[in-house]
Amino acid sequence: MIEKPGGYTNKILVIDLATSSVEERQTGEELMKDYLGGRGLATRLFCDFVPPKAEPLGEENAIVIATSPISATKTPTAGRGHLVFKSPLTGTIGSSNSGGEWGAYLKMAGYDALVITGRAKHPVVLFIDGDKSDLSDRVAFIDARNVWGRDVHATSDSLLNTPERKGARGLFIGQAGENLVRFAAVMNEKNRAYGRGGPGAVFGSKNLKGIIVCGSHKTTVADEAVFDAGLKHAHYKMRAAPGTKRILRELGTAGLVNLINWIDMLPHRNFIDTTHKQADLDRICGEAIADTILLKPVGCYRCPMMCGRRTQVGNYSGEGPEYETVVLLGPVLDIYDLPAITTLNYLANEFGMDTISLGGTLSAAMECAEHGLLPARVIGNHKLRFGNIDGLHDIVRQTAFREGIGDLIAEGSLRLTTECGAPQFAMTVKGLEIPAYDPRASYTQSLGYMTSPTGACHLRGGYAVSLAFFGGSKEIPRFSVRQSPMAAHNVQNLGIIQDSAGICRFTGYAFGIDVIARLLTGATGLDFSVEQLEIIAQRIATLERLFNNAAGFTAEDDTLPMRFQTEPIFTDGAERVVSAEHIRTLRKAYYEIRNWDENGNPAPETLQKLSL
Amino acid sequence: MREIIARFQAVGAAALTIDIEDSHSGNLAMKWVDADGAPHMAITATGSQKGDLKETDICFPGIDRTTYGHYKASTETDIHAAILSLPDVGGSIHAHTKHAIIETLDDRRKPPAEPLPPLRPVDPLGFYHLRSVPVEWFAVPSGSPEMVKLITAHLKNGVAMMTHGHGAFTRGRTLEEALYHAALVENSGYVLWLLRLFGIDPRAAADFVAETPPRNFPVPPTAYTNESDGECDFKDEPDTVAEFLRTGRRIFESRLSPFHTGSLSLRGANTLLFAPKASMPRNLPGPLLERPLMPDAADTAELAFHKEIYKHSNFQAIAHTYPAEAEVAALAMQPEFANSAECGTRNSFHTPQYIVPIDAEGSFLYLKIPLLPPEALFEEVLRALHDYRIIIIRGRGVWAIGEQSLSEVLHRVSSVRDICYYRAGAATRSLNLAALEPKTAENW
Repeated sequence: MIEKPGGYTNKILVIDLATSSVEERQTGEELMKDYLGGRGLATRLFCDFVPPKAEPLGEENAIVIATSPISATKTPTAGRGHLVFKSPLTGTIGSSNSGGEWGAYLKMAGYDALVITGRAKHPVVLFIDGDKSDLSDRVAFIDARNVWGRDVHATSDSLLNTPERKGARGLFIGQAGENLVRFAAVMNEKNRAYGRGGPGAVFGSKNLKGIIVCGSHKTTVADEAVFDAGLKHAHYKMRAAPGTKRILRELGTAGLVNLINWIDMLPHRNFIDTTHKQADLDRICGEAIADTILLKPVGCYRCPMMCGRRTQVGNYSGEGPEYETVVLLGPVLDIYDLPAITTLNYLANEFGMDTISLGGTLSAAMECAEHGLLPARVIGNHKLRFGNIDGLHDIVRQTAFREGIGDLIAEGSLRLTTECGAPQFAMTVKGLEIPAYDPRASYTQSLGYMTSPTGACHLRGGYAVSLAFFGGSKEIPRFSVRQSPMAAHNVQNLGIIQDSAGICRFTGYAFGIDVIARLLTGATGLDFSVEQLEIIAQRIATLERLFNNAAGFTAEDDTLPMRFQTEPIFTDGAERVVSAEHIRTLRKAYYEIRNWDENGNPAPETLQKLSL
Repeated sequence: MREIIARFQAVGAAALTIDIEDSHSGNLAMKWVDADGAPHMAITATGSQKGDLKETDICFPGIDRTTYGHYKASTETDIHAAILSLPDVGGSIHAHTKHAIIETLDDRRKPPAEPLPPLRPVDPLGFYHLRSVPVEWFAVPSGSPEMVKLITAHLKNGVAMMTHGHGAFTRGRTLEEALYHAALVENSGYVLWLLRLFGIDPRAAADFVAETPPRNFPVPPTAYTNESDGECDFKDEPDTVAEFLRTGRRIFESRLSPFHTGSLSLRGANTLLFAPKASMPRNLPGPLLERPLMPDAADTAELAFHKEIYKHSNFQAIAHTYPAEAEVAALAMQPEFANSAECGTRNSFHTPQYIVPIDAEGSFLYLKIPLLPPEALFEEVLRALHDYRIIIIRGRGVWAIGEQSLSEVLHRVSSVRDICYYRAGAATRSLNLAALEPKTAENW
């Protein structure tokens, strides 16, 4: 038995905004062993603090952000943080992961996790300086009334460009979060995002404008030899694997546009079909970005991939667009205008909005408008139509400020279409907008959306895309009812471990769970063998499920919109839908693999085995 | 008749693929029974191309009067007729099993004063299914009456024999089983030949494994049957069927496991898709079964092992194969062969043992591959599979797992064959294997 596990700081910071009180707790070996860090640790803490029926925008909701034992080490990409909250968009557990460097800085400030409860009386920014010896000095509640109402970039410039915060890193919300837009993001170092599910609105509901962190705590590892072996192999693989050594740096994630289109998975016009003209895609793909607007690739903490894009359109510069943004603000709206997509992306970053849900909701609104279903009171002068870019920038601004039509869009697709009397036009699962992969082109992707704890998220539901064509030898048939459930389960588990280890999904193109196991075991001295990590992943998935079930979700919510069940696309030589029977069969098989009953409730023996 | 020709074509093509027939050599024969129950014989024509047999290359002489019916039948027709007349024999093959020929060459004066030493397999498949393969020298080594007599006598008692400098004669209940035995003869010969690359005398290796067979081969390989070949329980998923057949073909063609050996599986929610024969040539598929994941008393040992692995893991695919190179690499690391090139490496005699890749692709994929002893317990196998994804169990073949696909496990066994082959190659050049191993492997 080792005296103290390496890797961890063994400290959790708990802040109550209502009372401005600050408390430090020990992380403790039990939490470390059972929940690892990142997503696992944050989920456990969140479930301990927040009742499942809590009102997402009420005081009972909490914000938990966690790092991992290898955060802020030399592990490639190990600067990510994981944020858990109850989603105001879906009512499910909210679970969002972000890169940049903020996560590493929270660790350097001396904390494995940060828990924020309550609601501040007026807008505040938290400033956590880990180098201050006294706890009372370590956390400052900065009056943020002077930056309330300002966008993310202006806020960041105003609060970080000061001598006392030089070198610190900040998370901030923009006007969208302040105005409780249900898909508002928490922006990380201006252009990265804890995007999905509306964490920005939760910040806004708590009068929390942002969190600044700094510190110089060094992460020590328990077994240098084992850790170094993992580290060297991880770096070696990142340098050698095609996905990580070159493609992402050269083309960014938008390099996926043509690849996804080749398998008829690239959505078009609110997912009505997946048909595009190649000439149109050539104007918006990763190659087009590289040729026309790219200033330079940018990367997160210790990331050799540098998939981020620093771009410029005219005199306007910013970051993006990434693949999801290109598609959701592009072809899903029937728009193939790269400068327009890019500037919409810039605006979303500045106001602090999730571009996937923004695009998904705009496309739902467009379909409603084309059917004459948008209430006249909100349309105003807008000519909301597929393919029409005119006025869209203004609508994005109105959304952030909840003005006019923006007030309806700010509610997300499901509420908007329900208001219009056409919920069938909401391309959502559990109220979360579907990302840029059409589920009809892959059963594994479909099942990932259906069973993701946060609704239709390609990351929480398992990054099935990596199997479709970046999987190399891991590729599986796209339409196998027998293979997809286990494949979805396994890719979800890998994602849970990556999220809990604080590393990027894209490392999966280079190395797998065996390398992660060595890094974690070496860093901590604890048994984080592959076998243990599988158990931890199952525990985390089951805990997320328990929260959602207690919040009122059932197996019936693990489904897809009717469009995908009845309106076929042509792919792989056939007209294909994901029929109601497919959905039932896939869902049942998935539950069996997870040891959940047919209603999606974890079996008592499963709970006992997982100590839940 | 069409079915007979198709079987000849498939077996001929398979034999050519694994190089136990060259373009025109060797011959294939089978017995068939007409509607009245009378036995007949079919045999390849002399000089026919075994890899590309035409309808007219199959001859149908009488089984008891072989001169009747076809003047162009093989020179060895009388031998095959005699073999096919043995009880329970339905197929026979003469194959130029090259490594087995090399391993049984004897440069002493002929005719030999005493019986030639047999080919003694040191691999589990050969050890169990061939035992000891007798070798005979013939003054007239092709189609002679002397051959008819002696070969038939040997095949009464065993499934294969070698003619000195000319290759194997094998029998089986079917033509396919005769191919199976011919493939095993060549595989065993190849294993022995590879041992020499590491500086190991095959006779010493044969003595070593024969001394305590249960210690070296505690788990007998699955016995051959072709009763359900070609059956498929999941035809409703053609993509999945194609994936199995593609994987099986690659395992066979790349010689990752001899013909119709090994096994493959994919896991579903409560069933598994199981190919009890991993190595499947084109047009010679084994069964493709769907079975409940729950253990069943009727399960073969092989199927039960797959189920047990799935029960304790989240793996989605499993491959079990017998690459000769891996078997040899494992044997070469035994302390009994202390003078071999392998035993000069830093891994020698340590427990656990590992094969460390020395090639770029191998070390990119695996820094170490565990080498487990034959008596490894299930728990040890499972732990090693979790940690390393692929393992070699000496005397029990190579086991690989995949988190997703059959292609993934194929890649693993394909890599391990190359990894072991490069080590063998480096050993022949007397290179320092330890110096070629990546340093990172030490702490992996």
